[in-house]
Amino acid sequence: MTRVPLEAIRDSFEGIMPSVIATTDASGIPNLSYLSHVHYIDGDHVALSNQFFSKTAANVQATGQATVVVLDGRTGLQHVLDLTFESSAQSGPIFERISAQLDVMASLQGKSHMLKLRAVDLYRVEDCRRIDPIAPLEEPPPKAVANRDLLVEAAAVTGELTRITDAEVLLDRSLELLDERFGLRHAMILLADGEGRKLTTVASRGYPHYGFGAEIAFGDGIVGIAAERCLTLRIADMRRGQRYVSAVAMASGLAREAIPLPAIAEPQCQMAVPLVAGGRLSGVIFAESEESFAFSHADEAALEIVARQLAASLALFELTDAVGETGARGAAASGAAVDAEPAFSFQFFPRDGGVFIDNDYVIRGVPGRLLHHFVRCYVETGRCDFSNREIRRDRAFNLPDFKDNLETRLILLRRRLEERGGPVRLLRPERGQIRLVIEGVPEIKVVEA
Amino acid sequence: MLEDDVAAFLSGNVMIIAATRDAAMRAHVGRGCGADFDPDVGDLTLLASSTQWPAFHANARSGAPIAMTVCQPDTYKCLQLKGQIIDVHEATEAQKARGQRYLDAMLAIMADLGVSRLQLSTVFSNADLVAIRFWPVDLFIQTPGPEAGERVRREP
Repeated sequence: MTRVPLEAIRDSFEGIMPSVIATTDASGIPNLSYLSHVHYIDGDHVALSNQFFSKTAANVQATGQATVVVLDGRTGLQHVLDLTFESSAQSGPIFERISAQLDVMASLQGKSHMLKLRAVDLYRVEDCRRIDPIAPLEEPPPKAVANRDLLVEAAAVTGELTRITDAEVLLDRSLELLDERFGLRHAMILLADGEGRKLTTVASRGYPHYGFGAEIAFGDGIVGIAAERCLTLRIADMRRGQRYVSAVAMASGLAREAIPLPAIAEPQCQMAVPLVAGGRLSGVIFAESEESFAFSHADEAALEIVARQLAASLALFELTDAVGETGARGAAASGAAVDAEPAFSFQFFPRDGGVFIDNDYVIRGVPGRLLHHFVRCYVETGRCDFSNREIRRDRAFNLPDFKDNLETRLILLRRRLEERGGPVRLLRPERGQIRLVIEGVPEIKVVEA
Repeated sequence: MLEDDVAAFLSGNVMIIAATRDAAMRAHVGRGCGADFDPDVGDLTLLASSTQWPAFHANARSGAPIAMTVCQPDTYKCLQLKGQIIDVHEATEAQKARGQRYLDAMLAIMADLGVSRLQLSTVFSNADLVAIRFWPVDLFIQTPGPEAGERVRREP
């Protein structure tokens, strides 16, 4: 019988239906166990996480072999894999990836200590055979309706993204294209701070509110873990989580400053891809669905391709912006007729760059420091126009040269202020320029906490 | 002898997987279509399709070792029994009827849990049903968690 290529049965590895692993001990007594995931490694290898099934592990150590039956939850077809043990790993890329997936599941279930990955066992696949249905209860569907060729779609998406010359258009258009081309209806892009501590929502699509400025800490949930470990993560079926801790709940740990994250009511399937260019993490792109198993390994690969193009374009914009921008025009104040307008309080916390307007949290970090700078200049000199170049030169913002994500931070700040609806707004009259628009009289108070 | 509650559990509406092994010590998996414990004799009968699981069936011979895991689909409560096969024969009419009742009950339970007939299309098969009789020698808890794999009892 011809061996079935592993690539042809990857849907069976998604965990829709549990797999079965059978081994024998040295004296030939069989042993059985259920297995939630078989991890595809390449055409000749799979990996199994070694957590609970200690008898299986002991048997594999004794005999070096195992038999696995996988079941495709979409067609009901089963396959048998004859496996030979190759090696066990407690570190390395395969271990890290599976470990991160388990950690995300553990954070959903609130029992991280129980799911800690001990080791990952790598097996060579000696044979992979289809179990021919003898009397199927239902005929498997005819060869699945020709799936869209995701590679072609990804080429089209990246093709369009490479033609975009503006960072803000790039962010929004990326999410639109993910929706149009891949059916990823709920997605957001989060920007990493330079310190590896938190991520902030800068663009979103398919949610009741945009949530610009909403934060997730590194290491928290699927987005935080994807950023912390620079790994793509996909949770195919969140129903397995006994206690679903929503991304919103995680963010609420950030107390009074919390802006609610964009969220759908009952996510069942999520994936997060780090945005990396030149070896540097700039953020995370995240997608979710109410449907279990909505995203396959192929969707994950497609999102990775788009994420890499997005990250590369963002990095390029930052570079060209830093090198080729025009100087500040130092425009005079446009804020006339100040007297008649009402005052509002503008509180600034230098410790974390936090800004509160009329006691409502606005933003913190570098965008908060920038906003304080703009408003202070306005109050002191009446100035409304600023340039990216002068900001880069001002060491007070702690922006590392050429790696500052200034453009995206300004987009985030502008959007956050826009969503808030005044009394402070930012405009971008032209590339590299920022204009402050204030309705009312800011009363700045610096709070040293 | 098995305790009454264990006997009732494995004879109930549980998912059943079983394994035999060949001369090269490679395990072969089959899926069950009902199991029953005979308290008078002390043996177990596992019903399984011989044609859907040919390698499993081919290695199910008198005197050969067998393992069987039964799992309650809604609670994940899971037990594994191991023993030695006494004999294998074609299912009787009564056993075929038992297999059909098991299949109907399981499909209804799984449907309630959101698992479709298509997904179970080749899981529950009663084609060319055989009855595999074996002595249970070992009993293990297999419910996922820290107790998994713990031996419950062993026949002296």
